[in-house]
Order: sequence, then C-alpha cells, then structure tokens
Amino acid sequence: MADARADSAVVLIASALEGAWRREPPPPALSEERLARVAPLLSGSGASALAWWKLRRSSLCETREALEFKQSYRLQALKDAVREREVESLFALLDAAGVEAVLVKGWAAARAYPEPGLRPAGDIDLCVRPAQFVKAKDVLASPEGRRFWVDLHEGFATLLDGRAEELFGRSRVLPLGASRVRVLAEEDHLRLLCFHLLRHGAWRPLWLCDVAAAIESRAEDFDWRRLLGADVKRERWVVCAAGLAARLLGARLEGTPLAPAARSLPRWLLRGVSKQWETPFAACQPPLSHRAPMRKYLRRPRGILGDLRKRWPNPISATVDVCGPFNALPRLPFQLACGLSRTAAFLARVNAESRRAPHFL
Amino acid sequence: MRERTVTPRPKARAEGVVVRALGEEVLAYDLETHRAVCLNGAAAEVWRLCDGRRTPEEMRRELEKTARGALPEEFVWLALEQLGRERLLEAPAELPAALAGLSRREMLRRVGLAAGLALPAVASIVAPTPADAASCVPSGGPCADSAQCCQGSTCIGDTCT
Repeated sequence: MADARADSAVVLIASALEGAWRREPPPPALSEERLARVAPLLSGSGASALAWWKLRRSSLCETREALEFKQSYRLQALKDAVREREVESLFALLDAAGVEAVLVKGWAAARAYPEPGLRPAGDIDLCVRPAQFVKAKDVLASPEGRRFWVDLHEGFATLLDGRAEELFGRSRVLPLGASRVRVLAEEDHLRLLCFHLLRHGAWRPLWLCDVAAAIESRAEDFDWRRLLGADVKRERWVVCAAGLAARLLGARLEGTPLAPAARSLPRWLLRGVSKQWETPFAACQPPLSHRAPMRKYLRRPRGILGDLRKRWPNPISATVDVCGPFNALPRLPFQLACGLSRTAAFLARVNAESRRAPHFL
Repeated sequence: MRERTVTPRPKARAEGVVVRALGEEVLAYDLETHRAVCLNGAAAEVWRLCDGRRTPEEMRRELEKTARGALPEEFVWLALEQLGRERLLEAPAELPAALAGLSRREMLRRVGLAAGLALPAVASIVAPTPADAASCVPSGGPCADSAQCCQGSTCIGDTCT
C-alpha cells in the first residue's frame, strides 16, 4: 500500500519537479527505475526541460531518460529563441498599428525561471482593451499578422477579475530586442496564473511550477494585498493554488501571508490534482478528449453517453466555472451546476444558430 | 590549361538561423528546414571563425592559439564538412584534393590521433515534443464551438478553420 502511494503519478512527478524552477534545484529523490516510470509523464506534459535542469547535476544525469530530457532542453532553448523573435516582431507590428496589448502567461511566465527555455510556450496570449479588440483582430488577420499563433482576449474577463483599465494602468513595459513588451504587474500576473491553473483543473504540472516560480522570484515590494484581492472566494483560490505549489512541489511560502491558510487544503483538491496528473497530456483534456462535437449527437445520438462521461467536469474546474468556494464541502453540487450551465449555454448557441441558418443541424 | 584553385573563405550563415549558446555548446535552428542542431565546443569555435575572410589554414592557426598545441589540417575541415552539411555556412566549403578522397572515418581517425582533444561535432537535436498546451485550438484542430478556436479561426463541423 505504502509502495503504491510512493509510486503514484503525483508523487513521482512531484519528486521529479520539486524546486526545479530554482537556479540550483534540490537533488531529485528518485531511483533510476522510478525515473523511467515518470519520464513519459514529464515529456508528455512539457516538463522535460525542467526535469533535465533538476537532474543535470545528480547521479541520474547519464541515464537514458535524463539524456532525452537534455535533448528536449536544447530544443526548447532554441524554440524559446525563435519565440522571442516572434514576440518582438508581433509587438512591433501591434505598436505600429497603435494597438496596446498585454502579454500574459508564456514568455511573461517564463521570465521567472533561471533560463527562459525551461518553460515551453504554446500560443501567444494577448489581452487588449475592449475598445481596441476589433483593430487588434484586423492586425492579426493581415498577412504579417497571420504568421503568429495568437490567442487574443478582449480585455481580461476570461482570465482575471478586475477592470481592464486598472490592470493596464499597473502593467509594465519590458524591453525585448528592438521592441517593448507590455506585461501585467507581478501581483496581477501571479493571480492570473493561479486562476488559469485552477480553471483548467490543474492538469499540467508545469502550471504549478509557474505559480511556484512566480512566488519565489517576486520583487521585494510585492503587494500581497493586491495578489489576494478583495473577494474572499477568489482569495481562497489563490491561497489554494499557492498551497498546492508548496505541498506538492516544495514552493517556499514561509514568511508570506499565504503560508498559514495554504497549509489546509481541501481533500478533494489534492485528490483532483492526483487524478489529473495520472494523464497530464493535452490529448486527455477538453476539447481534444471529446469524441465529437455535441451538435453531432443532435443528429445521431449514438455514443453520446460515452462522450458525456468524458465531458463530466472535474471538481476543480467545475468549482471555478461556477465561482464556487474552495472549502471542505463535496464537489458534486458544483459539478452538477457546471454541467447544467454548460448544457444551457450549448442549447442557447444551438438555438441562435438554427435561427440564423435553419438547416445547420 | 591548369585549373586555378580558389582557397575557400567559409562564411557562417546568419540569415534564417536562430542561435543560442548553452554553456560551451551552441545550438542552431534553421528557420527554413526547422532542423535543430547542437555544435560542441570545438565545432562552435570553428563556426565562430567562419567570417568569410579567414581561410581554413588561418582558422587552424587561430585555433592552435587556444588549443595550446598543434592541430592537424583535418580538424578544421572535419568541422567545415559538418557545418556545410547542416547548412550552417553560406556555401559549403569544398574539401582540398588531398582530403577529398578520405572517408569520414579516416578523417576522424587522423584528427583524433593528432589532436588528442574533443573532435568537432555537429549533431541533430531530436526530442519528443509534447502536444502544445495552448489555450486555443489552432486551425485544423478539433473543436466543439468557435470560442475554442484561435483568433481568426471558426469552428466549422468539428474543425477550426
């Protein structure tokens, strides 16, 4: 029983990534055999460069797995250099068009690591003021803009609470090559990273490393009050995200206002993360995990039950979706509420589309 | 009529290549072929000297200063041959007639015996890449509705288009 626990995915991943975001990570508490078992989980979730960073000065650094991680580390370092060029060109393009954008996650999160290439980036997340959204869309639809893989957000509503103007007002501009890149204030960005982690059910271990790295690399004048915000429920979300980073990955919270409350985490939260880390792959997450779009089942309902099971919201993202509290109560009501609200949104969409194009079904 | 031999002056390719130094190694990414390669310290040194002005012989003498010992001619050529093959030079440097007939193994043997130091090596970087955990699905990816697609794409059927 004890062995089974020690070999669970969450324990193995945590051992491989504990403190990996630091310049000098602690030595890994892993045997060669356990490293071989956790390697596919680390590679598949984009954490192999970080794993190499942690293993590079350990007795495991010559193992086959470590050498594969090293190759990923090299490749990621190059991809990061390519991505930096893209961000530089993208901001120059937006700037020329008079669009002010804020870069979130990706490159902004990678700055908290000792080497930016340790954190892989997917798309480029940009937030613009709602009044500039259409203009930004046009720039990105232009021939020069189309070469960038951008996820454009209208304001911050889908990522963060708070008014766009205030968030813009607190944002900072950083030099990148010949361009200037706007990023959120440290406190706002850490809050966003916590929300993002939880909204997606914390399935990716790297996102928890982002939270840990941001906490540990904070500036001396970091404003904890601003990080926690005025809303009690969301304050608890932030505390729980930081608590997870401390409990699972050894993030240092001592001496911070987060430490006392972060010690008590709801059991369902830890269980939820353990479950997610058994398969920390994008292909196992919505929408890639869906067999078919729901509207397909309106024509042919065969297989809908199996797909509905895949769509059953996990407790963490369901709670965030319905803006629920992270307390000790069971999650079933939140999951039901989340499922119902998604169904209602889907039906409303179907209704609207069928009015616009009656034969679309 | 005797053919005139032109001494090559190799020049490192700068356009379309992204370079990053990692410790002693130098990594290069070809933006056209999307190939990534890793140059060990010795190969990186030769590449650094490929400025379009130096001849291989001048490069060898330059390298000898830091190697604190004699280097065979083949040392530089071994690096140049690999750099050319990986398109890291503006034009591949043609081997001199004396070396052209040698197999790579033979050249390695001669360089290894004479130099007694790390041989220049340019290796491909091959690593499994995880599916990018993006917050939006790029064009061609699966979707249930347009909100999941990246900006500029719409969910048509079950694909972001």
